[in-house]
Amino acid sequence: MTKRLVINPVTRISGFMEIDATIDNNTVVDVKTEGLLFRGFEKMLVGRNPLDAVYFTQRICGICSTAHSMASTLALEAAMGIVPTEQGRYLRDILHGCEFLQNHIRHFYQYTIPDFVRLPDKYPLYETDHNDFRLPKGKNDEIAEHYFESLDISRSAHEMLAVLGGKAPHNHGIFVGGITTQATTDKIIKIKSILHTIQQFIIGRMVTDAYAIAQYYSDYYKIGGGYGNLLSFGCFNGYKELGTLYVNPLVYSQGKVDVFNPGEITEEIDYSWYQDKMDEYKPMDTVPEADMCKRQAYSWVKAPRYNGIPYEVGPLARQWLSGEYRNGISTMDRTIARVLEAKKISEILNTLIENLIPGVSVQKEYTIPNSSSGAGLIDTTRGALGHWLKIEKEKLSFYQIITPSAWNLSTRGNNTMRGTAEQALMGTTIQNLQTPVELGRIIRSFDPCVSCATHVYSQGECIKAIQVIP
Amino acid sequence: MNTVKTCPEYAARLQTASDLFNKVKDEIKNGTLFKKNLVWLELTGCSGNIISLLDGANPDFKYLISQMTDFIYNNSLMAAEGETAMGKLMGITDKEYILAVEGAVATKNNGLYNVIGHWKGEPVTAFKAVKMLGEKASYVIALGACATHGGVSAAKPNPAGCVSVQSVLNRKVIKLPGCPCHPDWFLGTLAHILLYGEPDLDKRDRPLLFYNSLIHDRCPRRSFFDKGIFAKKLGESTCMFKLGCRGPVTRIDCPIRKWNQYVNWPIEDDTPCIGCAQFGFPDQMEPFITYNTTREVEE
Repeated sequence: MTKRLVINPVTRISGFMEIDATIDNNTVVDVKTEGLLFRGFEKMLVGRNPLDAVYFTQRICGICSTAHSMASTLALEAAMGIVPTEQGRYLRDILHGCEFLQNHIRHFYQYTIPDFVRLPDKYPLYETDHNDFRLPKGKNDEIAEHYFESLDISRSAHEMLAVLGGKAPHNHGIFVGGITTQATTDKIIKIKSILHTIQQFIIGRMVTDAYAIAQYYSDYYKIGGGYGNLLSFGCFNGYKELGTLYVNPLVYSQGKVDVFNPGEITEEIDYSWYQDKMDEYKPMDTVPEADMCKRQAYSWVKAPRYNGIPYEVGPLARQWLSGEYRNGISTMDRTIARVLEAKKISEILNTLIENLIPGVSVQKEYTIPNSSSGAGLIDTTRGALGHWLKIEKEKLSFYQIITPSAWNLSTRGNNTMRGTAEQALMGTTIQNLQTPVELGRIIRSFDPCVSCATHVYSQGECIKAIQVIP
Repeated sequence: MNTVKTCPEYAARLQTASDLFNKVKDEIKNGTLFKKNLVWLELTGCSGNIISLLDGANPDFKYLISQMTDFIYNNSLMAAEGETAMGKLMGITDKEYILAVEGAVATKNNGLYNVIGHWKGEPVTAFKAVKMLGEKASYVIALGACATHGGVSAAKPNPAGCVSVQSVLNRKVIKLPGCPCHPDWFLGTLAHILLYGEPDLDKRDRPLLFYNSLIHDRCPRRSFFDKGIFAKKLGESTCMFKLGCRGPVTRIDCPIRKWNQYVNWPIEDDTPCIGCAQFGFPDQMEPFITYNTTREVEE
């Protein structure tokens, strides 16, 4: 006999989501991941001053705002015909790297650790009702202590970002041409010094803690794999003198790595709350209107596809595609890859900082073209992020955003093929149906950012929008 | 012997929040003050305010949850999930609690554009949750631009029908605008509530502790403005008024407080203030950046 299991809210993610699973004999036989927040950034951007997109789109997300400033800047540069200097690229990539560190440290300690480690339950925030805590008490309490230490470290990653980026979240630094200010010697040495402390923490605490958890929860190497298709738009790559410090735009499917081709990206909306005028479209084609009355739809998240099929994006995809980590594709591999990536990013930051020349201004007086278009595709903390924009009469006339979490948390596509995370949940055995910890652990390994994924535009409304099945 | 006198502005920055925290610490230790329950709702927004709160150093997050409050509910940080999490939220209304809200209230489609949880088989909309919890809270603090006036979530054409927290509640709401809210603005306000009750507020319910002067009044580039020396592009060290700086209309203490362990702020980063702490942000603060220095700046 089948049973329906609903988890909502899925906590320790950004934004609002529900997992709606059908369970038969303690096994997930069907599942939907549902994004339950709607805003409408793409429509909001139409008519605005193009340069404002850098600051405006950051407000899509409070934990990865820098990501959006990177993608919008790249799209604007493409549309305005601007090629940043290498110093400009180093500077903004340093800011972007700081965000990776802030994100990964917070995700591992504040979002992941409470799934595996018993935190002091004298604090109401950490009370939980499951009992699947397996670490020996000494190790458990040590990692719980690191949870609190990590707060200082992730905070200092934001401080490092603010040294050259004015403030965080929602930095003022990344802009067309690179960043707005100059790196002076005192700022460079300040960043180096903060980075040193962060790096010590990653090596001395974070990596060890991740492997300790992996040791006691080794069954999680066997579950939550999904399709095993991986994609990256590339990041910290293609520098004129430094070459590629991390990963080039690549895809992986069925054991084969290929060069990524942006022309193969489409979005499908058969199972999302949008009017289904066309089966699929390319990013520059259209932004569909919403329709909460659509019977089969269940989420605000659309279904981005590459070559017609779902792909996983994020740290594991990048670690795999760059050849840094090839252990496997699973819940625990995703967690380990994120932690190893934090170490990798700290090394990349060191290289970029060493190549900075103090006192270089990379800003010019820019002119907005009367009419143009551009795309900004880049890998950010959670994976591949794309901004596509058009300018008419010196104003934005079109804006499209496809976020990493849309790739990972998409609904079924038009061919009813499930989204990546949905596929990862399928077949999972749940030990105790009263406390289905497995599902949350698998989902959180993707580091969902539903605020980002459901930035989408919608119009229509429907009174009987959400059907509650008894 | 140190004979250097501290700048009074600098001293004030440190005093406003940290004196309050220290007093909270002493009084809780002495048993003259008791921790209050704190519920933090994230609604339609980017959850940037809870991230900004984690950036707080004075005090830090651990101090907040261990010494100042019993922090009951927050979607981004709590260990429990699903019904267990919602049960904690539903159970709080019988007790005394302070409600902090970030994000705007989506009103479209009966609030279904933002569902924050599932309770007894029904979706719980943000709209419903903020009304239920807002009416019974001892204090309601709206933090961040979305909660105080709709912010970016309500930007034209406001597709989700977003409104401020105040507009769905018939009661006093303390407002801490900013995008995001600086951790000191929230923690200082909270410390004031714990110690003395509601802080002095201006006519728009902002604590005077933090919102008592314009950025322009304390801007280190003010002398360039007075002399009429204006930057023509970003990255210059002169007044950015003609590039679109909203310091002259934005009431907040960024020039003396700064961000992220007090290390920097937008103007020191050679970019204009975009007025994120001012009611009307973003629509009335645009364009954020313009190179058309001949334009008339409307107030």
